[in-house]
Amino acid sequence: MNEDLKKTLLNPIFKGNPITVLVLGICSSLAVTVQLKGACVMALSVIIVTGLSSFVVSLLRNSIPNRVRIIVQLVVVAMMVILVDQVLKAYAYSIDKQLSVYIGLIITNCIVMGRIEAFALGNKPIPSLLDGLANGAGYGMILIIVAFFRELLGSGTLFGLRVLPASYVPNNLVILPPMALIILGCIVWVQRSIQKDLQEK
Amino acid sequence: MNTNNNVYTIVYTTIIVVVAAAILAIAAMALKPKQDANIKAETISQMLTAAGFASKEDLAKQGNDQVLAMYSANIKNAFLIDAEGNKTGELETEGSIELQDNLKQENKNIASGNPSLPVYVFEKDGAEVNVIPCYGAGLWGPIWGYIAFNADCTEILGAYFDHESETPGLGAKIKDEAWFREQFKGKKVNFSKPDDAFNIVKGGAPAGDDSAVDAITGATMTCNGLDAALDTWFKAYIPFLQKKAGSAAGDACCEDGCCEEGCDQEHNHEHNHQEG
Repeated sequence: MNEDLKKTLLNPIFKGNPITVLVLGICSSLAVTVQLKGACVMALSVIIVTGLSSFVVSLLRNSIPNRVRIIVQLVVVAMMVILVDQVLKAYAYSIDKQLSVYIGLIITNCIVMGRIEAFALGNKPIPSLLDGLANGAGYGMILIIVAFFRELLGSGTLFGLRVLPASYVPNNLVILPPMALIILGCIVWVQRSIQKDLQEK
Repeated sequence: MNTNNNVYTIVYTTIIVVVAAAILAIAAMALKPKQDANIKAETISQMLTAAGFASKEDLAKQGNDQVLAMYSANIKNAFLIDAEGNKTGELETEGSIELQDNLKQENKNIASGNPSLPVYVFEKDGAEVNVIPCYGAGLWGPIWGYIAFNADCTEILGAYFDHESETPGLGAKIKDEAWFREQFKGKKVNFSKPDDAFNIVKGGAPAGDDSAVDAITGATMTCNGLDAALDTWFKAYIPFLQKKAGSAAGDACCEDGCCEEGCDQEHNHEHNHQEG
């Protein structure tokens, strides 16, 4: 694999993480991180949607009329999201029920449109596909970290299995959305103390 | 090629939209049978949970075929009733299982006075369990559920509620919190007050009230919606429930005069309504 592709693939995971560095997709990371299982399916769905929509838009990039490009992108993204939702409804019904409205809201996830605008419109299909997948993965990774702490402290379970002793009193604050922001803040803090160049003077 | 030309733009967007629509239509058609089977198994597992055969989580793990098999093994019969509580039709319970699951439509039919309401009669430990649905509006979308009664329909044995888009952690607790549905066990439908036969009380149900349960903190709108849904559907089912209660207990209800009283109250209420 050549250097450029490697960079495309690895950069969004840590150095240019869409949530902690680009600050995209915060809203859905608050909503679907109460349980790990939901967070994993959401992460997978976003990876598929960002990857495939970047790929398709990149294929069309030279033919898209500039004035309506956002609309064309939205059509592509919406189509992917509906496909993911339909497949989940058919093959993972209970998880689809759990994620309910949030699958539909992937359409409004800024990461998808953000990567299409910033990358897919100016690059070839394969790098665009990788960029989409990697950004989805970077998003998913944060989602899973946040969900890990929220499920552990909020319900005393991981993937629905009890790990903390029954005497542990679940912290209800962790279940509520504000706590996701606080955990997210801590992750950003950790990342910026490792990556000094992100610190603002 | 000039991609900013008007004709090109219009033709291009038209083609994109038509292609996207075609792909979605094909996917929807191809996945429909599988999705319908999931929805059916989900509905049945909600009934089985309400009737106390298994927990919802266990049923979800078992898969659709097991759920359908469990339904066929335990159902005695299923039928439709009209507004007077008379049986109007049977539902297939084996092989191609039939459900009356278009509750939205029935909710409208109740309002118009011409419903076709389902009753699912299970047999559990030698006794009949009658399961009926309810449906109404929550805060963000529809909410529905199944309520299981004992053989003479005087006591609630269990309930299960579900929703489409209530707020996770708040309204969604009607489904997620076991304590909420546990409360319904042993409660009664108040036959003497058909317009307000069951209550979900904010701030806690009064002690000793057999027809009320506690509401959920932070989910007032969802609980009000569920309360209204229960009132509407219980009212529609009361003729049937009363018949069951009457035939099982040898008109024990009417001996103490509550039936007549109930009728009077209903008339009074209608009268007041007309005046108002």
